[in-house]
Amino acid sequence: MSGNPGDDRDALIEALASAYRARGALGEVRTHPAFHDLDDAGRAEAFEVAHKQRVMEAALHPEGLSTTARAVLARIRGGG
Amino acid sequence: MLDLDALLPAIAAGDADAFGRFLAGAEGRVRASLRPYATRVDTEAVLQETLLRVWQVAPRHAPDGRPNSLLRLAIRIGRNLCIDDLRRARLAPVETDDLDEAHIDPVEPRAPDPLLRKLIADCHEKLPDKPAEVLAARLASGGTEPDETLAERLGMRINTFLQNFTRARKMLAECLEKHHVDLSVELR
Repeated sequence: MSGNPGDDRDALIEALASAYRARGALGEVRTHPAFHDLDDAGRAEAFEVAHKQRVMEAALHPEGLSTTARAVLARIRGGG
Repeated sequence: MLDLDALLPAIAAGDADAFGRFLAGAEGRVRASLRPYATRVDTEAVLQETLLRVWQVAPRHAPDGRPNSLLRLAIRIGRNLCIDDLRRARLAPVETDDLDEAHIDPVEPRAPDPLLRKLIADCHEKLPDKPAEVLAARLASGGTEPDETLAERLGMRINTFLQNFTRARKMLAECLEKHHVDLSVELR
C-alpha cells in the first residue's frame, strides 16, 4: 500500500507527518494510509511532529513556505 | 496587528504568489486550530483541502470589517471539514472551546528568520550522509511525491528512508537545542 510502512510505529508516525497526500478520483485530498494504522497516541504524536517539521521547513525556504504550503501551491498551479 | 486580508485583493485576482504569502502567515494558525481533531481525522489532509478551498472561495469572500477575515474563514472551513469527516465516520463530535473566531490571534507572516535559517542550515550540514539525504529529498519534493518514490530514488527501502528521516529530525532538534532553539516555541 502506498505510504504504508508496515507495523513499525515510529515509521508510521514519520509517514503520517509528511506533507504528501494522494488525490482521490474527484481531486480530493485523501487520508494517509498510516493514519488508520496508528492509535490515538500515535496520531497525536504525528500531529506534533508535523507541526514542528513545518516550522523548520518554512525557515529553510526562501519564501517561508513549508512542504504543506508548497504542495497546495503546486496543486493550484496545476503541478501537484 | 498584522492583517493578512491585505493580500485578499491579489488572491481574489488569482495571484498564487500572494496566496503563498497568505499561506506563509496562516498555515501555523490553521493547523493549530485542528489539534483537537488530530486523533480522529488526518489533519494534514484536512489542512490541505481547507487551503485549497480558501483559494477557490477567495474571489467571492466578503471581509466582515474585522482583521484577518480570510484566516478566520480558513479556520471555519477546516473545522467544518473535520466535523463532516466525523459525521461520515459516525464518530462523536469533538468538544472544543478554542475555535471561537472572536479570539483568533493572528500570526506574523512566515518570513524567513535569518538566524533560525542559518542555525538550521548549519545543523543540516552536520547531519550524517543518509539522514541528510532523506531530509533534502523531502524538502526538494515539496510535498508532491510519496515517500516510496523518494526512497526508491535514493536506493532505500521505505522503512530505512523513514528511520533516516527520524534520525535527521531528532539530530536537528538536538543541534538546535544546543543553540538554545526550541522549535516548539516557534510554533504559532
